[in-house]
Amino acid sequence: MKKLLQSLFVLLFFAFSAMAQDRTITGTVTSTEDGNPIPGVSVKAVGAQGVAVTGNDGKYSLRVTSSTKSLQFTFIGYVTKTVALTSSNIANVKLDGDATNLQDVVINVAYGTTTKGKNTGSVSTVGSEKIAERPITNLNSALAGAAPGVQLNAGSGQPGSGPTIRVRGFGSISASNNPLYIVDGIQYSGDISNISADDVESISVLKDAASSALYGSSAGNGVILITTKKGRKGKEQLDFRIIQGVTSRGIPEYETVGAYEYYPLAWQAYRNSLVYPVTGAGLPLATANTRATNDIKGLLFNNPFNVADNAIVGTDGLMNPNASLLYADDLDWRSPLMRTGTRGDYSLSYSGATEKSDFYASLSYLDEKGYIIRSDFNRINGRVTINSRPLSWFKTGLNLTANITKSNQADADGSGSIVNPFNFSRSIGPIYPVYAHTPTTGDYLLDSKGGRVYDTGNLLTVLGVPNRPSGAYAGRHILQETLLNSTQIKRNVLGARTYGEVSFLKDFKLRANLGVDISNYSFADYQNKIVGDGAPNGRARNTSTTTTTYTIEQLLTYNKKVGKSTFDVLLAHNNYDYAYKYLTGARNTQILDGNSELINFATTTDLNSYLNDYRKEAVFTRVNYDYDSKYFISGSFRRDGSSKWGPGLRWGNFYSGSAGWIVSEENFMKSVNWVNYLKLRTSYGSLGNDGLTGNNLDRSLYSLDYNNAAEPGILLQSLANPNITWETQTQIDAALEFGLFKNRLHGTFEVFSKQSSDLLFNVPLPLSSGLGIGNGTGTFPKNIGKMWNRGIEINLGGDVIKAGSFKWALDINWSKVKNRITKMPDETPTIIDGTKQLSVGNSRYEFWLRQWAGVDPTDGASLYLINPLSPGVAADTRTVNGQNYTINSNNALYAYSGAALPSYFGSFTNTFTYKAFSLAVIMNYQVGGQFYDSTYQGLMSYSGYGGSLHVDALNSWKQAGDASSIPRMDIGRSTFNNATSTRFLIDASYLNMRSAVLGYNLPKDFIGKIGLSKANVYASGENLFLLSKRKGLDPSESFTGVNSNNYTPTRIFSFGINASF
Amino acid sequence: MKNLNKLLFPLAVLILTTGACKKDYLLTTPTDAVSNDAVFTTTTNAMAALNGIHRSLYIQYSRQEEGGQGAVNLNIDYMGEDIVNTVSTTAFGVHKWVTHRSASNGNNAFIYTFYYRIITNANLIIDNIDGAEGSDADKKAIKGEALTYRAWAHFVLVQVFGKRYDAAGNNTQAGVPISNTSKVDEKPGKPRASVEAVYAQINADLDAAIASFAGATDRPNKSHFNINVAKGIKARVALTQGKWAIAAQNALEARTGLTLMTNAEYLSGFNSYTNQEWMWGSKQQEDQTTYFYSFFAYLGTFNSSANRTNPKRINSVLYNQITSTDVRKGLWDPSGTNAAFSLPVGVVTSSAASYRQRKFAVAGTTSVGDVVNMRVAEMFLIEAEARQRLALAGAAAEEVTAKNVLFTLAKNRDANYVLSTNTGTAFLNEILVQRRIELWGEGFRFFDLKRMDAPVDRTGGNATVALSGVLTVPAGGAEWQWAIPQAEIDANPAIGPAGQNP
Repeated sequence: MKKLLQSLFVLLFFAFSAMAQDRTITGTVTSTEDGNPIPGVSVKAVGAQGVAVTGNDGKYSLRVTSSTKSLQFTFIGYVTKTVALTSSNIANVKLDGDATNLQDVVINVAYGTTTKGKNTGSVSTVGSEKIAERPITNLNSALAGAAPGVQLNAGSGQPGSGPTIRVRGFGSISASNNPLYIVDGIQYSGDISNISADDVESISVLKDAASSALYGSSAGNGVILITTKKGRKGKEQLDFRIIQGVTSRGIPEYETVGAYEYYPLAWQAYRNSLVYPVTGAGLPLATANTRATNDIKGLLFNNPFNVADNAIVGTDGLMNPNASLLYADDLDWRSPLMRTGTRGDYSLSYSGATEKSDFYASLSYLDEKGYIIRSDFNRINGRVTINSRPLSWFKTGLNLTANITKSNQADADGSGSIVNPFNFSRSIGPIYPVYAHTPTTGDYLLDSKGGRVYDTGNLLTVLGVPNRPSGAYAGRHILQETLLNSTQIKRNVLGARTYGEVSFLKDFKLRANLGVDISNYSFADYQNKIVGDGAPNGRARNTSTTTTTYTIEQLLTYNKKVGKSTFDVLLAHNNYDYAYKYLTGARNTQILDGNSELINFATTTDLNSYLNDYRKEAVFTRVNYDYDSKYFISGSFRRDGSSKWGPGLRWGNFYSGSAGWIVSEENFMKSVNWVNYLKLRTSYGSLGNDGLTGNNLDRSLYSLDYNNAAEPGILLQSLANPNITWETQTQIDAALEFGLFKNRLHGTFEVFSKQSSDLLFNVPLPLSSGLGIGNGTGTFPKNIGKMWNRGIEINLGGDVIKAGSFKWALDINWSKVKNRITKMPDETPTIIDGTKQLSVGNSRYEFWLRQWAGVDPTDGASLYLINPLSPGVAADTRTVNGQNYTINSNNALYAYSGAALPSYFGSFTNTFTYKAFSLAVIMNYQVGGQFYDSTYQGLMSYSGYGGSLHVDALNSWKQAGDASSIPRMDIGRSTFNNATSTRFLIDASYLNMRSAVLGYNLPKDFIGKIGLSKANVYASGENLFLLSKRKGLDPSESFTGVNSNNYTPTRIFSFGINASF
Repeated sequence: MKNLNKLLFPLAVLILTTGACKKDYLLTTPTDAVSNDAVFTTTTNAMAALNGIHRSLYIQYSRQEEGGQGAVNLNIDYMGEDIVNTVSTTAFGVHKWVTHRSASNGNNAFIYTFYYRIITNANLIIDNIDGAEGSDADKKAIKGEALTYRAWAHFVLVQVFGKRYDAAGNNTQAGVPISNTSKVDEKPGKPRASVEAVYAQINADLDAAIASFAGATDRPNKSHFNINVAKGIKARVALTQGKWAIAAQNALEARTGLTLMTNAEYLSGFNSYTNQEWMWGSKQQEDQTTYFYSFFAYLGTFNSSANRTNPKRINSVLYNQITSTDVRKGLWDPSGTNAAFSLPVGVVTSSAASYRQRKFAVAGTTSVGDVVNMRVAEMFLIEAEARQRLALAGAAAEEVTAKNVLFTLAKNRDANYVLSTNTGTAFLNEILVQRRIELWGEGFRFFDLKRMDAPVDRTGGNATVALSGVLTVPAGGAEWQWAIPQAEIDANPAIGPAGQNP
């Protein structure tokens, strides 16, 4: 303590004695390139103590002693400049863009920051400037096109939802493939949409083992480091951002037939089922034609035309030319469900820093209304970050964030759910009106108040309007249900990060980190009593969960420079505790209208709660060694424990080693002028993954909550695997980083090989094992097999054109990732997984499907190659051109049919700047791979009257001799003709314009008048278009290469302004 | 000293923040499940495992046609002639005799897993109950119930997926895998045992169950088994195997001491196991509702949607064979517009709903209701049929007994019923018509047709091709066997593609 006081006095003394001879130099630092002020430039008095930093307006002010002869200006990305002082107290400086200092770019890495040059791992970074002008609700969207080797799917368009991310392929089969999120240094398990994009300073994607190794046990799928903003030295700063936009559907709907085309198709489906019955002899064609003409309306129930019920379709199968629709304007179920949504995104932040402390405070508000009615996302975010060094040897800080989210959700989760607006509106036949009409005149039926009546398809008894058949959701009404029901999510989130850091013994630092994230989530769900699942009484469910995660860390660092050598050693201990408390209750029989709280319901139908606890503990160390800023070696080791595994298997060891060599720093390279930066690096390491669903997998468990009336009951849930433990991912990586021609061309070539061993796998059990029920096949969790992901990643960036004030910069990412399973368990060498089969020598997403072979021209049946092991009965066998086929899909041959993985994928970003204007366009692409279009399959199947049909059904087989590639419409045999098979595979290539931003920097003299130092206005668009092989198809919907009726991605057009005072 | 301070302070920080290094830090306990080894410590806990099986008979599983035993009953009846749809529906598509032939059909997987799940849970009880702490009488009751479950579940499975049992012999055709041990592990499964072997297992389990129930604690309620139910199942099995004497004897013993319900009870909705005639049924309470997956919802008395607003109908041919004084005549509405059939709002009331049912009515605010699995009436019908078949096979004296047995039942349902004057096959047919009327909707018709090797004949009544897909199905074809689920073929190499039904 004594010494501390001493130093304090000494400091004060110096300060006072210095003041006497001071003068203050002020000035503005601007860029030679565009003349804009450069904030954050460090201004140092050469040979003295004083340091200042330019503010947002580029201005600085520095007190210097009379002995100071010159000032040095340094800033990353610019050439350091030393300016001699004159008698003037004003020194305005222009800095040149730095063409040589690529290696000095600071990047966030695990437990610290480093520079691009020193880093020996594979890290890609997205800075705040890349997201500042994009209307990003879910931060994952910011990573679109960010780096090679990083794949994003489209994700759901539900406001607040975002894409899912895969880093370097698919490391696991049954365990999670999601990267680990670290927010401000602490493992983050909350929803990523809790983070306001405007608070984010940078996002780093750690791809290889070396860069992720310190997060060893959870980092097998890569790590995403999110770092929020801090106050910068210089002028205190007030920034605001306003983005105002509209939302609409990003991808068009599949093409389905209209009413005039639909009736003849249904006629065919019925007629053919009479001619080709499943069992027994068929009717003669003419008889069947007549019967179909007479009966078809009776099967479809509704006749929307102005002709008699038996005169809609002729016996020739053609639409009556005199028929016209009675209410053509009321057959569209999609439009009433859609709207032009709005999106408002407002944020304000205040930040600054002094010598000892920095602060950043922000408040933001986001309100997004989806293009589907009753879907929105509303979030209020606040964040305060303070760092301080109150004592020379002690540093501390606090980062507090809180947010309140409220979101109405369109019920678009269940692909086949009737309340899913996409499913319902896509699947209902085009002859059923939204509102009830008088059958004869087609006039709208009105209720006592003069309003239109929703046609729920079961109003025959009540109103005398036709019912709908079950294929057209009789008794249901998507519009009415969407309006009357509600599904609402609310989240209150509190996050805190704090630390204390003590410097001691000159080179040592001891730091304690504490991180807490608390998320209170509430899900309230109400189904009305009039129509749908809640009818006739109304029902509601409230689910409430509390997720609490704690991280406690102790870090000891040692940093020493000896001659040209620098050592950097870290030794640390980490505890992580994730507790999830779940409580749900449901009741039905609503008492009074307008209140969907449970207390307003009479009968309890469900009530239960549980608590899951998951913990991890780790000790880890890292040693970085740097010789002469040219050669770098780094090694790390982490020992991890996880509560997921049983005794004796909880602990796993993970490690990494890496090296880098900046070749361009060598003397022999100095003469090669066109090479500005050249670095080689390589890494090797092993990471873990314990992300298999379920806890306590080592024990055989009985599930609670199977009470038999009032008697307590339990049922077997899972088999024990006492041997289950970590999955390991070992990765080797090598890269060449370069900057050429004054860095006009820069980039990275990188190769990696990631080996997953002891793969965590839920091995499917035979159904007769008695675990699992229905489609929920029972499984046994096991560490089986091996799989690798190997890839090449190329990033190329540069200025294509740089002419005067015009610049065209292009940034290209290209990745090729191959995936291969190399070992399967002996007892189950092949495992069927939906439309895929896992086996040695194939990828994780290799389609395994019935082999569709076309259509029999004689009767239009779908032909499949025959499975020799179950050839089926002779009646199902056909011989076409000497080759035997089966028409029974049960006897079809299954075979590998291509993979869902693309040949290559990536992005290209074009940025054009002209004077104060800029245009940045991000395009994502994928080439190759197969996609199973299950939505299309649904639209081509017709096994129940009333469902909709794709326009391709018009080309179906119609009569003997037709050489069609679409099987005959046949209600009875649709299951066989349209069985899941290679027929529904399609090329997965696509090109997607993910984002485009047109910006303009307002002239300084103009904004200066209103006190602004910087202002940028822009127009931006997200998801502007997608080109794929079929209209409506979005191959980026999933990594598995299978689609569903999900909330199609949202297109957002916005206008915005970012400004600083 | 100066440096010591600087060392002590970090040390203090270290100690203060290193709170979580306790040895049991990584030991967590689930709160939504219990460990296997805790289950068979006492008979009380083992009883919970048994009640879990009872509960599994009425759970809202993943697909709508997966409401438990009630859903299976509907499948079985839908394949016969006696239920007629009001609208075309993809639900219970077995009615059209197509979907059950597809290995990837969800319903096949549901029925298959539904019963194997029961078997696996029963196996754990059978193998572990002896070691539990508790009275012998309790153990006998629990073991008897578990054995009965194992037998019953195999019995349903073999009837659905295997070929019919031929009393004439040579039942070597593939049945279903026999699961009779709790040693379930990740190893691939068992092959399909022969139909003969499956029935041998069923009978062995039933005999063991009946023996176990002697001296066992009385069952707490009718969701549990007792010796009567075990004998009742034994009678069903024997009837299916064509072992008439065993069937008659067990049916008689099963109903001994039990009574038929009153006519008033007959019209009370078939939804409460307090009904004196019920021998076995699932009790369902509101917080265990299966919502619209429910048996009652599908029979069309719980308003919500297509299948549910369209009440199921009886085949008019069968209906017309019910005498007008029979209480059962009142269970169906030939006009479809009878206002006395007080069904919920929205349920179709029109000639399109003619012959709609009100036998089964929802019992609560949701679609809850107790599902009947065995009644005394069935025991009368089994005994009458078995005795009449014995008579036809030569034991002529049995016919009188058969007539008297049927008389007791029929007289209860129709006060005007007189002892039948039919003889021989005509009397057998009378018994079978009584059986169809009495057990309508209770999950028997497909099994009855299959065991008798009889064709489906839906002609002459209110069934149409458009709604029923087919009106006739000849007896004995490959379509009488449901396809083994594809997931079983895929994950069970002991069956594999070659083990699929033709």
